[in-house]
Amino acid sequence: MADKVKLFVNGQEVEVESGKNLIDAIGAVGIEIPHLCYHPALGADGNCRMCLVGIEDGRPPIVPACKTKAAEGMKVLLDADHIKKIQHDVMELELINHPIDCPICDQAGECKLQDYYMKYDGQKSRMTVKPVMKAKKLDFGAGVVHDQERCILCARCVRFTRQITKTGELGIVNRTDYARVNIFPGRPLANRYALNVVDLCPVGAMTSSDFRFKQRAWFLTKSPSICQGCSKGCNIFIDHNREKYKDDVIYRYRPRLNEKVNGYFICDEGRMTYKAENDNRLTTGIVSGKETGLSEAVEATRRLISEAKKTVFLVSPNNTLEQMYAIKAFAAEAGAALSGFSDGYIQEGDADGYLIQDDKSANRASFELLGIEGSKDGFDKAVADADLVISFNNDLSKSLAEADLNALLEKAQLVYIGTSLGTCASKAAVALPIASYSEDCGSLINIDQVLQQFAVAVVKNEPAANLIEVVQQLGGSVAGVKEARAGLMESVAALKDVNLEEVPEEGIALTDNEVSNVAA
Amino acid sequence: MSDRSQLIETGKPFAFDEQRDAEFERLATRYPTRDSLILPSLWLVQEQEGWISAEAMAYIADRIGCFATQVYEAATFYTMYNLQPKGEYHICVCRTLSCYLLGKQEIVDYLQSELGIKPGEVSTDGKYSLEEVECLGHCGSAPVVQINGEFYEYMNVDKLKELLATMN
Repeated sequence: MADKVKLFVNGQEVEVESGKNLIDAIGAVGIEIPHLCYHPALGADGNCRMCLVGIEDGRPPIVPACKTKAAEGMKVLLDADHIKKIQHDVMELELINHPIDCPICDQAGECKLQDYYMKYDGQKSRMTVKPVMKAKKLDFGAGVVHDQERCILCARCVRFTRQITKTGELGIVNRTDYARVNIFPGRPLANRYALNVVDLCPVGAMTSSDFRFKQRAWFLTKSPSICQGCSKGCNIFIDHNREKYKDDVIYRYRPRLNEKVNGYFICDEGRMTYKAENDNRLTTGIVSGKETGLSEAVEATRRLISEAKKTVFLVSPNNTLEQMYAIKAFAAEAGAALSGFSDGYIQEGDADGYLIQDDKSANRASFELLGIEGSKDGFDKAVADADLVISFNNDLSKSLAEADLNALLEKAQLVYIGTSLGTCASKAAVALPIASYSEDCGSLINIDQVLQQFAVAVVKNEPAANLIEVVQQLGGSVAGVKEARAGLMESVAALKDVNLEEVPEEGIALTDNEVSNVAA
Repeated sequence: MSDRSQLIETGKPFAFDEQRDAEFERLATRYPTRDSLILPSLWLVQEQEGWISAEAMAYIADRIGCFATQVYEAATFYTMYNLQPKGEYHICVCRTLSCYLLGKQEIVDYLQSELGIKPGEVSTDGKYSLEEVECLGHCGSAPVVQINGEFYEYMNVDKLKELLATMN
């Protein structure tokens, strides 16, 4: 644990972590120091002057909190009149040329300028001269649209492209009133993390062309979840809303801080995976090409299983730990072979050493934990004499060429229990809709062996059954997530010391040792 | 100062000539980091071409190994760098505090009406270019005008009239 130091804020004694700057240290005990340019991932820049605080008996007596380390006995002044005046004056400066177009601004409701105006400024504009006009709708590339007039020149976006992505597409050009953020002509934003500048921007200067004008921030429900775009397991917020007379729809993903996994950011591809949750979903059962209810599809599947000579259960590396456990138990009961073949989910060479991974599935590490075999050889052997393949949300068309898939389906029937319409759903004898991860809950183990859990975020008007329920209806014995977790803790050695009912928000790191101890 | 961020593209690739190339390599040994080469490189371009195009900035960035935006920032920040071909007489009027208080606006207004160009523009005959610039370091003798590098102190409209007469 970090050392603690005692200091005084407005005369009140608080104990804070040493080594941190005043914004973070004092912020951790719930006292806010207003700041615009400082961001923990980008470090102190000291350009906005909003975080100036008084230090009683200090030399100098006024310091930027972002660049000042918390020290023993420090007497920090936040509510002294001269500090309030600074905050008030800085706000007035920021608003001199600001268009105050909040009614049409996407940031409204989550804008630092709005919040701080209400808290630290609150006066009418004294400006009588015409504000400086700048460009309103610049396409910076990568889905980022920039409004130079709203910009307060905190340089967070500039520092992000220089320090984090090291691509440096953005810069602040000109000086004085004319200063503005811009790209170099012909060199737009071209990195796979560019949309993070939209989140970083404390005002509405950076907007996402995907989200622009879609929703007001205050209507969105912000549910914590885990991105399933790759095996990194970045923490996200799912921002969704059920408009009157409509269904619950996801409008965007935003990164959620987890120092152990993704830090403050997520990649753009992951951010856009929300579209698959909204669109092209399998919503009804399909039996021999005809839409049916779930019960008919379940009935048809049960009949197929009882008639089949040999059945193969195909697990998806995106299934949660609990789902895999339920499927594995069902496979043992039904005498079916089990395979996790999903080579198509891996894009060799795509990883960038930061967040993006080769493996585009969220939970392949659990295969190892549960002894599920995912090789092509194992799959070929299992299906060689099989006449029924049941895919549990595993998109086989990703891993098999069309000809191979067709050849397989000539001798075996396919049941697709999944979330999306596509090749598998259309080629299947029976297709069963299930809840996707945004509508479900469970545990995932990422590529670095961190076990994380996510809860139900979206509740559709007509919720699809979750996969464990469907497995149970098909004849499986595991009744629900709770029972799966109890079973996992009992039977999997690596999870013996883990309480799956109480996984902390930042996840649990399973060391490599524990995983390799598991009997395959 | 006006908006200098609209760069001019020549449509032709830029490269240092032999002499400037050698000078660039000599300068490269002088600084602890290559980013420090941005300002002297911009001077070299201006020496060679008289002004700095978008292509020249991209060339400098690639030569130095820095981001193009760093060059773009520096070139648009300092008004001494010409981002367009300048006139035969390049007239800079200081717009910073001392000169502002002591009447730079009268000078600018007079020049605008006399030359028919706004700050940041070049007259159609290519004879004059006008620019409002940041502090020229002559605050003690404000307001100050700089024409082709020469300083003219304690300026007013009458003195300017005489000056313009000598240019014709």
